Amino acid sequence: MLERIGRALRAWLHEVSYSLGFFYQVLKESALFFRRRQVGYRVLIMQILFTGYEALVVTAVLAMALGVAINFIGASLLSTFGQGKLGYDLLIVVITRELGPLLTAFIVIARSGTAIATEIGGMVVNHEIEAYVSVGVNPISYLAAPRCLGVVISMIVLNIYFNAFGLLGSLAVMQVIHPVGMDDYFRNLFSVLTATDLFLGLLKSFVFGIIISTVSLYRGFSVENASTEIPVAGIKAVGSCFLLCVLADAAITAIQYV
Amino acid sequence: MAAVIELVHVDVSGKGNPILRDLSLAIEEGETVVFMGSAGSGKSTLLKAAAGLLVPDQGRVLFRGKDLARLSRDEEQEFRAMSAFVFQDAALWSNQSILENLALPLRLHRHSITGAELERSARKALEMAGFEGDPRDRPAVLSMGERRLVGLARALVLDPELVFLDEPTAYLDETATGRIFEVLAQLRAHGKTLVVVSASSSFVSRSADRLGIVRDGSLVAYGSYEEAVEWSDVSLRAVTGRLRPRQEAWLEPEEDGR
Repeated sequence: MLERIGRALRAWLHEVSYSLGFFYQVLKESALFFRRRQVGYRVLIMQILFTGYEALVVTAVLAMALGVAINFIGASLLSTFGQGKLGYDLLIVVITRELGPLLTAFIVIARSGTAIATEIGGMVVNHEIEAYVSVGVNPISYLAAPRCLGVVISMIVLNIYFNAFGLLGSLAVMQVIHPVGMDDYFRNLFSVLTATDLFLGLLKSFVFGIIISTVSLYRGFSVENASTEIPVAGIKAVGSCFLLCVLADAAITAIQYV
Repeated sequence: MAAVIELVHVDVSGKGNPILRDLSLAIEEGETVVFMGSAGSGKSTLLKAAAGLLVPDQGRVLFRGKDLARLSRDEEQEFRAMSAFVFQDAALWSNQSILENLALPLRLHRHSITGAELERSARKALEMAGFEGDPRDRPAVLSMGERRLVGLARALVLDPELVFLDEPTAYLDETATGRIFEVLAQLRAHGKTLVVVSASSSFVSRSADRLGIVRDGSLVAYGSYEEAVEWSDVSLRAVTGRLRPRQEAWLEPEEDGR
């Protein structure tokens, strides 16, 4: 019994130390990415295209729908209590600070987290990673670093888009459904929007980007030799990313209010 | 003659199971060493350990006296530029064209190479390996035999001094097998060091300077080809039984690829 616990503990400690080492290597190579002679600019550009550009439509639709819903609540429900202006606080809290970064992260996890984990897992099974090593390519700097940077850059850009469509796009839709005065809207909105709100939203996107990319890469590289491990890596990547992003979101929000 | 690669008391395990146990050997410059053994005996793992594609749990792999695990970044690049690995399943990078598969090692190790020179070198290597398809195709459209030829071309594109080959004639038809034998004969004639895992007694009879028998992760016999032909141990004869003295081997017809 004790032996089994000891063995499990040793395996867990090995996994933790390996994942921390991997996390450190990916961050180090990402920081040095533009200084390395051997760099994967094409991988970076493709990652930004897939994670950032191709997710624009779904992000915009989600942001506008959420913005319209909050605008409705502010204009109808809160107004009945004489608290119509609270709708603008609600809009900033939800779109800029809380749900914006989190929903963007969920979109990126569903699209890119699974794609990264399964693609890297497939490369491990097909010995493509070993082939990179054999010609002198460091897989962390060539495959992991550009993906990490691509996801982080895309997360930040998508969050800015989410804010633009959530705060401004929803106003355009509201003009059709339930017109509100544009001057009033902007005056009230900018009176509650602070630099801290914007900074926190972007900070969360940055942190979520690092979590999604490194966890997905780690899951992909953890595949050993069977093709059946590839979908499992994808599923594990999604589960871990969701959990860690929600925990990080709660931690950043808690720090802000402490 | 000096050892180009030396394994010193190497242990390798996978998922807690030993694959190589206390394995020591030296490979001299310019010789062709072939490892034989039954499936799962650890031949491919031995080849990967010798090529520095996996780090031993215990022991050291020395390249011209330097521990592969302790090479500086520049020393490792130098080693990768003068060595190449031909994988059993080709391990081509599936997201790149055939030409790009050959271009990457050239771009990495010949910084001043022009686009035209790069394409010329890649096409020359493909021609040398006997690949007759369109180099702009992706690996996915190729047969396994064609992939093996492209894998060989990728290994030869930098004109390496030291070539590791894992079952070079597996999956190949008679013509392609003959072509591979010719290429390897040319490499031998140019004084290259070849480290090969092969089950082809025809290839071994024609090309091996030295033969190693791997069983259960241990090197149970290691000697010159002439010594190997004389081995009388029953378990060794089970592997080397079809080997003939060198003069007779050249009179026998070539066998098909496995």
